[in-house]
Amino acid sequence: MECAFDAQNLISISLRKIQSSRTQRGGIKLHKNLLVTYVLRNARQFYMSKNLSQAQRTHQYEDVAAARERQEYLELTGSFTELADDFYCNFTGLESGNWHCGAHQPSGQPAEVAHQDASPCAMASPSDPELMVPEACWSCADKSTWELPMPNAQANQKTVLDLDTHVVTTVTTNGYFHSDCCAQPKQPQGAQCYAKKRKMDASYHIVDPEFYLPDFGPVPCKRMRTDDDTHSDSEQLGSTNISNLISVLGSGGLSDFVSWQQTDLEQIFATQTICLKHTLLTGSGWTRAIEAF
Amino acid sequence: MAGAGGGNSDVQWCFSQVKGAIDDDVAEADIISTVEFNHSGELLATGDKGGRVVIFQQEPESKNQPQCRGEYNVYSTFQSHEPEFDYLKSLEIEEKINKIRWLPQKNAAQFLLSTNDKTIKLWKISERDKRPEGYNLKEEDGRYRDPNTVTTLRVPVFRPMDLMVEASPRRVFANAHTYHINSISVNSDCETYLSADDLRINLWNLEITDRSFNIVDIKPTNMEELTEVITAAEFHPNQCNTFVYSSSKGTIRMCDMRASALCDKYAKLFEEPEDPNNRSFFSEIISSISDVKFSHSGRYMMTRDYLSVKIWDINMETRPVETYQVHEYLRSKLCSLYENDCIFDKFECCWNGNDSVVMTGSYNNFFRMFDRGYRQDVTLEASRENSKPRSVLKPRKISTGGKRKKDEISVDSLDFNKKILHTAWHPLDNIIAVATINNLYIFQEKLN
Repeated sequence: MECAFDAQNLISISLRKIQSSRTQRGGIKLHKNLLVTYVLRNARQFYMSKNLSQAQRTHQYEDVAAARERQEYLELTGSFTELADDFYCNFTGLESGNWHCGAHQPSGQPAEVAHQDASPCAMASPSDPELMVPEACWSCADKSTWELPMPNAQANQKTVLDLDTHVVTTVTTNGYFHSDCCAQPKQPQGAQCYAKKRKMDASYHIVDPEFYLPDFGPVPCKRMRTDDDTHSDSEQLGSTNISNLISVLGSGGLSDFVSWQQTDLEQIFATQTICLKHTLLTGSGWTRAIEAF
Repeated sequence: MAGAGGGNSDVQWCFSQVKGAIDDDVAEADIISTVEFNHSGELLATGDKGGRVVIFQQEPESKNQPQCRGEYNVYSTFQSHEPEFDYLKSLEIEEKINKIRWLPQKNAAQFLLSTNDKTIKLWKISERDKRPEGYNLKEEDGRYRDPNTVTTLRVPVFRPMDLMVEASPRRVFANAHTYHINSISVNSDCETYLSADDLRINLWNLEITDRSFNIVDIKPTNMEELTEVITAAEFHPNQCNTFVYSSSKGTIRMCDMRASALCDKYAKLFEEPEDPNNRSFFSEIISSISDVKFSHSGRYMMTRDYLSVKIWDINMETRPVETYQVHEYLRSKLCSLYENDCIFDKFECCWNGNDSVVMTGSYNNFFRMFDRGYRQDVTLEASRENSKPRSVLKPRKISTGGKRKKDEISVDSLDFNKKILHTAWHPLDNIIAVATINNLYIFQEKLN
């Protein structure tokens, strides 16, 4: 148990390091962040191996409703800039003094959402293959047009660092994200939305920093990710490959470290997909969280 | 007391000088980031986080004190790099000097390369000890004379003046690196040099600034597949076609530029299998190589990872020929060192002049020497307490467990904020330069 706690502590520390690296002078250090992701992978492997065996023993016959109540996630809505401001302003980097073993506190009514309608996403337990996870598109308001993803028999766990409470929780998901489910975005009243559809994608579009380079001799053109890559990449979610770890980190992964710039958020969003999930706490409204794995 | 150095087990080290501020309140700009002797050892250059380069010159040996080698005094100080801002990426570029490398001296002037994260500069350091006087059209203060007032002509002559050392930027090699430059290395042909960042190595001609050749590129097509980065690179001291680069995975690749233009396929791969008994959360971090240095002979190369120094024979790729533990007692502290970021410290290493001793830094302002021939090692400390002129340095011992003996230091009392990352050894004599955070210590071999 003590080793599992250490692993979760390491995960928490590592995520904070990654977060703080984005505001360091001189830009993101690729080498250091790569090493941190290795620690994350190692700690995750250890933690999940311990947690999975424990969860399988205690939650084998979990009630579906209880699973829904246990954890609800709201999709990110609102302007990206606003979120990014929150992302940076509210993270204090404090040490997490406690941790939760997988199960999150039960939620009541969904909190009032100031922005566009979004459907809560319930996280399925690994033992419930019939539970669908309706995952809304970023700008999709018509729930009837959602295409629900097929459950993945091989459930995966996700580790989330809540930036407000600095609590690391591990939840289970159905395995892969659903991509485009509607074509036309809906513009809500008073809220700033992106016209481009938002893909619920574990991977993301990489911004090659060389995209910005002036002409300076031959620069190899790296292939930009396309929609076709999305499904194939989402299948890698369960792999322990370090690349997959990188691909689902917070707001874009390791390549994002190279291209992330605070002041050019609009430009970054235009070329990559960001996936941040909010954890709904009872009566507390919005929180911010980094989702990893 | 036995020491280590120069291939003689009786070498003792004495304090010689210390440069830098005395107070403990360290200005971040004064943090030393690189130390390098020139090829003759007469000049010692330091770079700091503020982008400044300070060059010390060794005074000629005094006839009054034949037992002491000359002291190093400030020769030149100049601002090499300034902070920049990349407007396209909204990225600030630090002015910190990552590396300094001297060029072999060809004439009266000295040349060095200095680099920050993005830009390499070639500096010319020259002396001026005379100035022309007796111009016909200019007054002595520089004002121009009315030509109508000139009635006679004279030939201007050089007259002696106070020595002035000038540092002028002769070349600026910019816009060739997307990632952070970690190494520069001058080729033995004295015409080219390489610069390495996290994912690429470029080859430059010292005369040409607007183009460079990419000779190594390990950037994957999909950045999600990135598994390692380049951590250091160096040219072979004698073979102008050969260079090595180390990686964050603990491997060293030796490349031959004659094989192909792009040296992505290595000629040799040096890698030691990991000991599965030492597997931990931090195995990848501590195996990352922070420095690689060829021996002066070119037969061996030395690598530094977080806990050890390894000597490799370039003819044997399977394992190092020698391994020295720098501070193995830290293996049980890796979690704490990860938390306080110390585990990411990049220690450098260096050879002595005849490749018989290697040196590297540690924490608590300790530095270690390993005598390869006598199989001895010693731990010394750079501190103001031991800074009496010509006082002999006393070897230090760290208590790793159990009962602590007298004069031993327990691991828990080590100060991890005091670290020696940069050391340099005079190419010919037993003189070493050891950089603490903001002080430069110079130690010399005790001469009887």
